[in-house]
Amino acid sequence: MTAPDVNYLMPELGVALAAVLVFVADLLLPSSRRKLLGPIAALLLLAVFTMTFFVDSSGSDAHGTLFGGAGPLYFQRLFLGAAVIGILGGLEHVERQTHWRQGEYYFLLLCSLLGMMILPGARDLILLLIAFELMGIPLYVLAAFEPGEKAGDVQGKRASEAGLKLFMVGSASTAITLFGLSLVAGLAGGTSMAALHAAPATPLFTIGEMFILAGIAFKLGVAPFHMWVPDTYEGAPGPFVSFLAASPKAAGIAALCALFLCGFGGVSASWQPAVEGLALVTMAVGSLLAIPQHNLRRLLAYSGVAQVGYLLIAFATGTAGGVAMVLFFAVTYVATNAGIFLVAHAVAVDTGDETDAGLKGLAGRSPWLALALLAFLLSLAGIPFVAGFWAKLYVFLIAWQAGLYWLVAAGASLSVVSLFFYLLLARAAYLVEPTNKTPARVAPGLRVAIIACLIAVVGIGLYPAPLLDAAQAAAQSFLIPIH
Amino acid sequence: MNDHLLSIVVAAPSLAAFLLFLIPNRLRLLVRLTTLAGAVVSLVAAIQIASLYERTAGTFQLAERYPFVPQLGIDLSFAVDGWGVALLLLTGLITVAGVLASWRLAHREKEFFIILLVLVSGVFGVFVAQDLFIFFLFYEIAVLPMYLLIGIWGSSHAVVEGGPLKYVWRYFDIGGREYAAMKLTLMLLAGSALILVGILAIYRAAGGTTFDLHALAAMHYDRSLQLWAFPLLWIGFGSLAGVFPFHTWSPDGHASAPTAVSMLHAGVLMKLGAFGVMRIGMMLLPEGARVWAPIMGCVAVINIVYGAFSATHQKDLKYIVAYSSVSHMGVVMLGAAALNVDAWNGAVFQMVAHGVMTGLLFALVGLVYERTHTRDLAKMGGLARVMPGVAAFFTIAGLSSLGLPGTAGFVAEFLVFIGAWKSANPWWAVAGVIGAFITAVYVLAAVRRIFWGPINDSHHLELLDANGTEWGALWMLGAAIIVVGFWPRLVTDFLDPTTTAHLHALLNAAGQP
Repeated sequence: MTAPDVNYLMPELGVALAAVLVFVADLLLPSSRRKLLGPIAALLLLAVFTMTFFVDSSGSDAHGTLFGGAGPLYFQRLFLGAAVIGILGGLEHVERQTHWRQGEYYFLLLCSLLGMMILPGARDLILLLIAFELMGIPLYVLAAFEPGEKAGDVQGKRASEAGLKLFMVGSASTAITLFGLSLVAGLAGGTSMAALHAAPATPLFTIGEMFILAGIAFKLGVAPFHMWVPDTYEGAPGPFVSFLAASPKAAGIAALCALFLCGFGGVSASWQPAVEGLALVTMAVGSLLAIPQHNLRRLLAYSGVAQVGYLLIAFATGTAGGVAMVLFFAVTYVATNAGIFLVAHAVAVDTGDETDAGLKGLAGRSPWLALALLAFLLSLAGIPFVAGFWAKLYVFLIAWQAGLYWLVAAGASLSVVSLFFYLLLARAAYLVEPTNKTPARVAPGLRVAIIACLIAVVGIGLYPAPLLDAAQAAAQSFLIPIH
Repeated sequence: MNDHLLSIVVAAPSLAAFLLFLIPNRLRLLVRLTTLAGAVVSLVAAIQIASLYERTAGTFQLAERYPFVPQLGIDLSFAVDGWGVALLLLTGLITVAGVLASWRLAHREKEFFIILLVLVSGVFGVFVAQDLFIFFLFYEIAVLPMYLLIGIWGSSHAVVEGGPLKYVWRYFDIGGREYAAMKLTLMLLAGSALILVGILAIYRAAGGTTFDLHALAAMHYDRSLQLWAFPLLWIGFGSLAGVFPFHTWSPDGHASAPTAVSMLHAGVLMKLGAFGVMRIGMMLLPEGARVWAPIMGCVAVINIVYGAFSATHQKDLKYIVAYSSVSHMGVVMLGAAALNVDAWNGAVFQMVAHGVMTGLLFALVGLVYERTHTRDLAKMGGLARVMPGVAAFFTIAGLSSLGLPGTAGFVAEFLVFIGAWKSANPWWAVAGVIGAFITAVYVLAAVRRIFWGPINDSHHLELLDANGTEWGALWMLGAAIIVVGFWPRLVTDFLDPTTTAHLHALLNAAGQP
């Protein structure tokens, strides 16, 4: 490795260093100061985020195991931003619930983040798998991160259940992915993307691809592999769900892009129909199953499933434009979902009610929180002047250009279906009169995190051109032909 | 200043909405004055646009263009033709009147005015947009806030349903404001989904580089594309224009909506639908328009007659006005389908005329409801004795509605029926006239039931006539009906050159039938 190449590794190294620093600080700080760990982690990540703008984005040599350039940087900035929001949103919850183990929480979160940081640039199956597991394994622990020692502690039990479910599904999906990887690596005679790219498309190769697709689909919560999503989201700690629902999904998308576009890009005809089918099923399942839900997090979990379906439409095109739309969608997806889960958490903390009834009269009690909720709901529904509108629109546009007419028609119809339950939430917040007028108490960190998401969602909604530019530039990284 | 008039028209209401955010709730007068200022600035700018517009040319003028999403060829480009000028004036007028009519609203009024102003910005945007995508964007902004406006400030079950089905009605909350709001939003959004598919198809067929309406109109599209994409746009936009059988949101929605929202929605928003069909559907897909025109015309005739018939059987005053809107929007669509200059002039004229008279009618119904607390026709009577002003204006609006000469409604219907008679299907005119006749039946019956005869309820003796700002709203709209009725050239001078140019372009592109 030469000196200039290290430049590409700066963000990953920065996150690794931040993780170590948080770990050491946890050992050194007296227990009364442990609450500083969260802000320290957030500040370190902000520093890394700033540093990404000094990394050369013109693109490194494409032969290596790790690729540095605009595409990975785009994802890395997204992950860093989402991690900062996730940490800020959870500051108070983590301090209150697990005061003694705060250091572990942030250390695990940073480790998971490190995995995500490596993923989009990985151009070798082994590195890709390691990064994927580095991202995934801390999440199993984090999902169960509630004090559960006391007998009869429902929250702790539910969190353990959530963690266990995530672990079971996660390991099973890893096994499936590994099996698929072993097939394709065996057939291609190597683990580098270049080797995969050069491999001929035999039926066995396609079977390997399908196994890999299914494995990643598990992690993305793509129907019919979505069963763990609502259960885990319901049980895991609130602020962590806002992290889990956003970044790892985007990282899964990054892995899909790296594998299927760089690796299997030459034989896209073999996997595109499968992705199209998954997109349709996912949109339909997510939109329809969200309707009967009353637990807010379960409802949002299904809505998130539906959102991933829209994302897959753009991915199914496999074109440069399609990848750009995937990247654009990923940002709006992360900002919107992180934001809405944080709002749900804030409301649940304030009212102690985790169903949609907790939202009742929110507009009369806390107009700004209600406005944030409305903005996120509109973004999920794809309504103009919030980010989600452009995301959905660009996806439809690119899918139409690629000739996926029936997917566009299905997606547009299912958007109207999903509008129904989003409107029901807006109804609870706005149409129902509040029973008491006391404003909801929102902790400062949580408030900052929600405002950050709101600014992102509205900002992108009002002026999407710069982000679109960035996404289009980044998309090229995943389409560089590898020889 | 004059270079940015169109931006000012579109932005002023939104700017006022933003200012409202910063004003505390308790400064109630300031909230109202800010709202009114936003509406008045738009109206004044619209008048200024009308005075600057070179009418005889009939072209798009006062153009402005700002890049928005250059990667996809989306520009924030505005311009107006004669139709746009007329509809801008209408929107400005109805908005100011609507704000005046809801001056006494006393429930979460700041939020109400904010949402209302955002909606108005959307409406103005649609009428001036010269970019297909921006058109759609503003269209959505105009449609969506209705959910909150009806859901929060609407009225439920003003007239309780009887009859054998009453338990079913109750179970589904039919007639309730939340039911109405959800139905309206979902139906119109389903329409938007159709429009979106149509727009994407056009964009793709035009090469996928620009959304500019003029560039898109200059292209030639495959006959097959035109044949399947046109109905998407027709039904999609048409669902907002109340095209049968996609009109069912209209009676429920308009009846449940608060006064200013009914005024704006029936008065202006339904026109967005008709404007969309003509400006986007017919102008971009001329061949599709020509092939589908006979079916459009037949459906429009159903609208006219069926809407009028339904209105005759309503017990709730607001449902009568709502069904009359369905009927009158049928006249607009009939004019559009007849594909000749008279009919198209009439169609746009009817948009303006119907906007003003429905705005006035909904304002008056709101006034009566606020005072009597009932909309049940059976419980009213003799109100002319206590509110002569309301009775007079209601009669003016009603007479315009049935097309009495000397009112705006007459000019519009006359032009459309003449045009329909000249078209390939002269029987449309006959059916239209029958519809106008039924309109006379229900309008006159309603006027008699409400304002004449004995007073049924002794409480009604103490009711007051309109007051303060309400007079402002009534006079503005009432005067507009009469002035335009006696001096139609005030509007037709704007419409005629534009219509001639548009129709010429359309028939050239479609090939003569």
